[in-house]
Amino acid sequence: MSGWHPSTMRSVALLAYAGVFACLKIWVFTGSSLIDTCIFMAVLASIFFATTDNVAPWASRTVLAAILLFVLPVVGLANTFYLDVTTQVAIYAVLALGLNIVVGLAGLLDLGFIAFFALGAYLWAILGSTQASMFLPGSFPLPAEAFFLVLPIGVGVAALAGILLGLPVLRLRGDYLAIVTLGFGEMVRILANNLDKPVNITNGPQGIAGIAQPLNGLAIALATDAVPEYKWQALIYYFFVLCLIGCAILVNRRLDASRIGRAWVAIREDEIAAQAMGIPLVATKLIAFATGAAMAGGVGVLFAAKQTYVSPESFDFNQSIAVLAMIVLGGLGSIRGAVLGAAAVTLLNLQVLKVLSAWLNTMRADGVEFLGFSFANLPAQFEPSKYERLIFGIILIIMMLYRPQGLVPAKRKNIGIDVDSSTGKPGNQA
Amino acid sequence: MTPLLTITGLSKRFGGLVAVHDVTFDVKEREIASVIGPNGAGKTTFFNLLTGIFRADAGEIRFRGRNLLGLRPDQIAAAGVARTFQNIRLFGAMTTLENVLVGQHANIATSYLDALLRNRAFLQRERAAIERGRFLLDYVQLGSKAAEIAHNLSYGEQRKLEIARALAANPALVLLDEPSAGMNPRETGEMRDLIHRIRDELGISVVLIEHDMPLVMSVSDRVIVLDHGEKLCEGLPAEIRSNPRVVEAYLGRSVAAKLAKAHDALVEVTQ
Amino acid sequence: MLTDMLLLLPTTLIDGLVLGLIYASIALGYTMVYGVLGLINFAHSEVFMVGAIVAIEVLIYGLAGTGLHPLIQLVVAIAVGGLAAGFLAVAIERVAYRPLRVRNAPRLVPLITTIGVSLFLQDSVRFVESLFGQFIRPFPSFPFFNRQIVLSETVFISNRTLAIIVLAVTLLAGLYYMVHRTRLGKAMRAVALDQKTSQLMGINVNKVIATTFFIGGVAGGVAGVLYALQFGRMDPFSGFIPGIKAFTAAVLGGIGSVEGAVLGGVLLGILEVVLGTYIPMWTNNAIGTEYKDIIAFSILILILIFRPNGLVGRAYAEKV
Repeated sequence: MSGWHPSTMRSVALLAYAGVFACLKIWVFTGSSLIDTCIFMAVLASIFFATTDNVAPWASRTVLAAILLFVLPVVGLANTFYLDVTTQVAIYAVLALGLNIVVGLAGLLDLGFIAFFALGAYLWAILGSTQASMFLPGSFPLPAEAFFLVLPIGVGVAALAGILLGLPVLRLRGDYLAIVTLGFGEMVRILANNLDKPVNITNGPQGIAGIAQPLNGLAIALATDAVPEYKWQALIYYFFVLCLIGCAILVNRRLDASRIGRAWVAIREDEIAAQAMGIPLVATKLIAFATGAAMAGGVGVLFAAKQTYVSPESFDFNQSIAVLAMIVLGGLGSIRGAVLGAAAVTLLNLQVLKVLSAWLNTMRADGVEFLGFSFANLPAQFEPSKYERLIFGIILIIMMLYRPQGLVPAKRKNIGIDVDSSTGKPGNQA
Repeated sequence: MTPLLTITGLSKRFGGLVAVHDVTFDVKEREIASVIGPNGAGKTTFFNLLTGIFRADAGEIRFRGRNLLGLRPDQIAAAGVARTFQNIRLFGAMTTLENVLVGQHANIATSYLDALLRNRAFLQRERAAIERGRFLLDYVQLGSKAAEIAHNLSYGEQRKLEIARALAANPALVLLDEPSAGMNPRETGEMRDLIHRIRDELGISVVLIEHDMPLVMSVSDRVIVLDHGEKLCEGLPAEIRSNPRVVEAYLGRSVAAKLAKAHDALVEVTQ
Repeated sequence: MLTDMLLLLPTTLIDGLVLGLIYASIALGYTMVYGVLGLINFAHSEVFMVGAIVAIEVLIYGLAGTGLHPLIQLVVAIAVGGLAAGFLAVAIERVAYRPLRVRNAPRLVPLITTIGVSLFLQDSVRFVESLFGQFIRPFPSFPFFNRQIVLSETVFISNRTLAIIVLAVTLLAGLYYMVHRTRLGKAMRAVALDQKTSQLMGINVNKVIATTFFIGGVAGGVAGVLYALQFGRMDPFSGFIPGIKAFTAAVLGGIGSVEGAVLGGVLLGILEVVLGTYIPMWTNNAIGTEYKDIIAFSILILILIFRPNGLVGRAYAEKV
């Protein structure tokens, strides 16, 4: 073994790790109990390990392809709970990657980011359900396949909204942006909540249900007794969101390694010096704002289709903060950090708090006593699943005070391109 | 020969404070001019007016025949005037090479789409930019530090990097704000050579604000003295050195008078 | 309809003034901290909320049944709530902001921290309050405050309104005096201009900043009690929106200035109530009162576009 290169050692270890946990997940821990979920997280973690710098590219590609294209679909078809969780995580990861451009790279604190997500979601919710016939001529819902047309439109609408909002406010001192975007986020939510009159556009607080699902025909065609339609549909969404997250990562990486990304970071580091070096501030910030918004809008369209139901609740201030907490936890400006943060916060929010809540509720119902304290006396309002703000608050405070660079700090690569060997391969010799 | 930069009647006030008042002078092609004056004389404000960070109340700034007044700092940089800052303002989290690449921002023609597609135009331009960046880092003797995070450079290296970053913008004129501040004599000597090379080899005009008189006197073609925001005088280094008004401005009238007396006394004694 | 509107006008204006004075009192905390540190203290809205909740608890558990005059009870509750809010603000500064100031963190870092503190406090208070049952706390009812004073045939003013106006004006006048006429105020303005030089001049910068937080916190806490008195309740999440609006008021008046905060607060309060009352009437409820928040945010965006330094503010220039 001593002759092996350390990177080869690590690669073999990675393959072994991913293989063992994938097999365990597929054949042994197939349920959805706590231990099953932990094994599932261990499988997801292999994606994280596969993307570190110090494993060989072949190993990293093998593991990524095997996990994303084989293991997760197989596990998910057996138990759609996991497909739903993964899709949910990936949707938030795309949001986090969008916000990463705005906050992480360009240093613009956007506290109303979820508004752009809402725009995309409502766009498909309205057009893909009967809601549109309330105020538009023509026959609605649009055919499910119009989704593929509405997706780019959603991207465009959100980008446009980003530009329209950014144009006046990006000229201002940076910290005003935080409060204006916060106001904008609230405005969009209030509008969604109230635009059921005089013309019913959003159906108000009841939200919009019965949203068309794209490629539903395919899911029906694939359906068998063993694997019914809804599972195939879940798989279809999984692949959709995989494509979106791939796009989001690509956009992040490529822009980051171009003059545009460098200009963003320069503005974040020192606005005055950046401008004196020939970077037009407002235009460059607008590009960041619009790019981030576009990602949120696109994934919003998908969100509406996947949920088949949207309501204003899904787009409140907490959601904007959730996305911010994700990138702060992962590391501002860091792509792996954004995805890791999205996974951690989503799982915490979706799973851990809910499990804790359910657990406390059973203790209360059973009247368990602990150190003289009877759980039966626990007030009904005391529900851990509602304490997401506490968690976001703690994440934000602790990270900013003790580890502002995040769990996976962004690394400034030497440069994206190797000049000396013109193979076009990204060079990361430091 | 028409001058590169012509400044006429430039004025700026902040509330009641007159920071720069009616300053007129010009810079020729391939000239090194120094702006000196006591602290608070308005030197840095003057640079900030030239680079559009502050907007002048009155006057005119013509650069290669084009009026710079009212342009944004980035437009002025793109027009060919680059600068460094007195209190170093590097992009601390970026590498040394990236800092110089940012300096080239306006000269890289890559569009948003090029960057997304990572097409041949993008790669070509990026390679050219990196090559030029490496050249500039070598030029200021930072070639071996290309991958270093700017924040971790030593003070003298940071000053040099600021100059390389300014040169990266491909300027016809660079404004250096106290390039030798905080440097030891050896580093100051290197800085003098660098300023000469910038002019002689790259053909770029230089205006510097400097407190180190030996450096000013040895490097400048011409010296402009500012005091209380006004131009006190202007001339060859030798002329400035012997100008009693300059000594007065630096030391105050009474000290200057005493100094002159002491000088006379000394002359008497030695005779 | 026009006569209806005219009949409503005096009450609407008075309600607007009450809300505006409350906004102004909250805005002081934002504007003073922003003036001194250049930091938007998002947690200030929770300081406001805690002041109100402490006062309500004092009224319920401490003063109920004492038979004291309602006004005295109110003043005691305000004093306790205000002090609690002031100390909370100081504690927040000490634990969460000062370490960042010391290590000179990038701007974004303290700003994100204040948001974290804000969220943390919301749920912490919710946690503590839910241990005792309902976390939505109604303000104890005193028939005294509901009593109306008849000014004319159509214009009444309640004891509650009168009490709020008197207390808020006293608070604002006191603060104005403190910032403009005392040594402390002078020190605060010096620190706002240049921390390093102030330190060299013998000003204890940390102490001045802590005092600024304390005073802003007290004002916020008092405003919280008045707000709870006016609207009859307070819960852990009710600080947030008034907080943002008070910040809007501070920006509207000109951030960093006490007069600006008062002017902006009163203006925003009156605009909000007047528009919130009349727009539904004009549009036959097609556009309802729910839009009053949208009105406030639109005002914020418009001022920032057309008059970013506010109505009485000075321009801030960064040192280059």
